[in-house]
Amino acid sequence: MVRAVTDQSPPPGAHTAEQARSVVRRPDVGVAIVAVVVVAAALFRPLLQDLLDRPAIANWATVFVAITVQAMPFLVLGVTISAVVAAFVPAGLLPRLLPRRPALAVPAAAAAGAALPGCECGSVPIAQRLVARGAPAPAALAFLLSAPAINPVVLVATAVAFPGRPAVVLARFLASLIAATVVGLLWARRGGDDLLDRARRRIGDDGPRLAVLTGTAQHDLLHAGGFLIVGAATAATLQTVVPRSVLDAVADAGPLAVLALAGLAVVMAICSEADAFIAASLTEFSLTARLAFMVVGPMVDVKLVALQAGTFGRRFALRFAPLTLVVAVASSAVIGWWLL
Amino acid sequence: MTAAGGTISILAGTVLLRLTLTGTYTRYVRPGMGPWLALTGLLVIALGVVTLLRALRTSRTAGEGGHGEGHGEGHGEGHRDGHGGGIGWLLLAPIAALLLVAPPTLGSYGVGRGAAVDVRSGVRGFDPVDSRRGPVPMSLLEFSQRAFDHGGESLEGSAVELTGFVAADDAHGEGFRLARYQIACCAADAAPVIVRVVGIHGAEPSRDQWVTVTGSFAAGDTEVPALVATSVAEIAAPDDPYE
Repeated sequence: MVRAVTDQSPPPGAHTAEQARSVVRRPDVGVAIVAVVVVAAALFRPLLQDLLDRPAIANWATVFVAITVQAMPFLVLGVTISAVVAAFVPAGLLPRLLPRRPALAVPAAAAAGAALPGCECGSVPIAQRLVARGAPAPAALAFLLSAPAINPVVLVATAVAFPGRPAVVLARFLASLIAATVVGLLWARRGGDDLLDRARRRIGDDGPRLAVLTGTAQHDLLHAGGFLIVGAATAATLQTVVPRSVLDAVADAGPLAVLALAGLAVVMAICSEADAFIAASLTEFSLTARLAFMVVGPMVDVKLVALQAGTFGRRFALRFAPLTLVVAVASSAVIGWWLL
Repeated sequence: MTAAGGTISILAGTVLLRLTLTGTYTRYVRPGMGPWLALTGLLVIALGVVTLLRALRTSRTAGEGGHGEGHGEGHGEGHRDGHGGGIGWLLLAPIAALLLVAPPTLGSYGVGRGAAVDVRSGVRGFDPVDSRRGPVPMSLLEFSQRAFDHGGESLEGSAVELTGFVAADDAHGEGFRLARYQIACCAADAAPVIVRVVGIHGAEPSRDQWVTVTGSFAAGDTEVPALVATSVAEIAAPDDPYE
């Protein structure tokens, strides 16, 4: 009985009087700021309306809101799964379930990505939670990369976008799976494991399960949501400012075309369930270049990098995103050359 | 951050729910996402309410100098996790904007800036259009696909009705360009389908105006299929502005 109490409540003396005061003060200030922002926005309503009369700004705003709104259900799904893992999966379970050797654990985790139907926004909080729960980082990262790329919804969408060309679906599946696995293995070999320390920090996962569930979900939602906003704003800006026609110049230029569409995928930040339709419309490019667009998009784009930087830390993202980009382009080039 | 975080969640959920209930969400995403958005909104509101209640209870017990058990629950993350919370404030930007003015449907700004839909890779072998009982309403995509299917055989001699908005002209060719976006997931992946409307008498409708055009297919060896209009009616933007 005594033991149960010490497990669940904070140790005596953990909360000083100062902390208690700041707890009292902070919520009030915070809620006041929320109220001020909303009231200020209401006062500036005519200004907002005027801004939206300009086509470029209206275009920006629509794309920005569209990316945010579209991502919310997937983000909430990811956050929910993450919170359930935090509340109900015992701390030692994941390391026991996964093979110890990265050579086995990474491909297994990459293949497991096929089971999570959703797009990339949802997989970031889940991967973070897996790391926090003791899963080997390379395996969690392989899952992070593969889940949005090879799940059934995405593959079906690809088949619909490229009617009569099953080779494209197969190529996408293989190139994504290989890229995710290779990045995972490279990370296992020489990645900075210390870069993931932040993800391992235990965030509010003691206490009653319901409290852990809601506390984790609330934290992850606001956190990931904030970075989603950064990413959506960046993508909307790039989409509005840079006309896609600048790419036409390099459409016939072989390897350069592959790089150009990989870059477009990074900039556009569209949902992995939709990118196949865009890829299908880029008819002036080779199939290999369009494959690179579909392989890179779910793994590296401005919205996703913002989410990763927020969740795992900026230093992590600075190393992880370029590595992933290079591997994904290489994997698409090889598979495209072989299959398409 | 906790009470404020709860408040932000409630606001975010409310905005999502409102977008869904008013139908405004079709400006941004596919209509099929409606139920999911509503469910998401409800979940986020519920989460916000739980968080807020817990934060209020915590601050009350702390205010009374009590060190109750509830003390350690809700507010923990804001303190233990220094990088948390802060970024969540950014959610307020779209919330505030959306509560007041919802950005419009994508307009003609993006036509010509992105790749247009490739109609040649679509379906093949259309049955002829039967317009004996009046013009047949059709999506711009279907019209374009039919136009490229055997040189537009299935459209021969039939009246069709197309709805879209007026896109800025590309400075060559007569008439105006009628456009409508295809979206696969959300407005960020929109790609326009374009049809040239010719044979109109009187003033052309202004840019970005939604119109319903009735007419028949004009065969020709052009990249953009053409429609010879018999009537052009200005309309309000449809509930589902994308195809």
